[in-house]
Amino acid sequence: MNAQFKKGVLELCVLVLLDRKDCYGYEMVDEISKNISISEGTIYPLLRRLKKEDLVSSYLKESQDGPPRKYYRITELGKEKRKI
Amino acid sequence: MNKEEYLKKLSKQIKKMSVDEKRDLLLDYEEHFRIGMEKGRTEEEISKALGNPKNVAKQIKADYMVKKAEDKPSPTSIIEALTAVAGLGLFNIFIAVPSLLLAVVIISLVLAGSAVIVIGIFITLSPLLHVFLPNFVYLPVDKGVSTIIWVLFGIALTIAGTIFVLIMSYAANKLYQMVIKLLKSNIEDIKENTMVFK
Repeated sequence: MNAQFKKGVLELCVLVLLDRKDCYGYEMVDEISKNISISEGTIYPLLRRLKKEDLVSSYLKESQDGPPRKYYRITELGKEKRKI
Repeated sequence: MNKEEYLKKLSKQIKKMSVDEKRDLLLDYEEHFRIGMEKGRTEEEISKALGNPKNVAKQIKADYMVKKAEDKPSPTSIIEALTAVAGLGLFNIFIAVPSLLLAVVIISLVLAGSAVIVIGIFITLSPLLHVFLPNFVYLPVDKGVSTIIWVLFGIALTIAGTIFVLIMSYAANKLYQMVIKLLKSNIEDIKENTMVFK
């Protein structure tokens, strides 16, 4: 696989997913691993970086199954970046 | 490895991070375990899918240190960031070593420039100091250099030193930004290297 192409793919996957709807971390891993095999643990460092760069934000939301989950939402800046 | 072992190993690896950051991160992984188990996976399966906690921690640390170096520029923070990224194993040494050498050269030049400024100020003030400390402060009057020329020479040295230091500080700042950018792109490269297209 071309390195230039691979670069930023994971980041783009996350932004595209969040542009569709808000997700929690596990959900994104589930979605992405349908097409790409990633080491699941790498999604959280990536999400932290995107959050620090203000491309996504996070909030806690109650779930029917148990304690609240951390959901991520794309920011305006993230939407711009997704288009590029 | 079960959940507890995994989280323990991870927290051991990131103990240098701030308490808040650490707690936040561990909560993310705890949530991952919880949801995975709700979906019927075992703790062992989830641990395996998450990947070696050491590698996960390395990535977290590299991100953290680079961010820190960006927010609080200092020689220590940049060296920490460099080593953290180097710890990821795929760091491009052919870029890292020359940029570090260049940094050392620039810092030495800034120090040399500062020394020139100090000497310049001293020479400028030397006629005055000579009045108070005739035995310690040397004036080259006996060599036929007039005091006025000597003072002008001191002023010129001070100005030249200042300009030199300003230029070098500017260069150091640019280099710093370059290194940060480089580190960031390295982190991204490595991230992509951990995944495989199906």
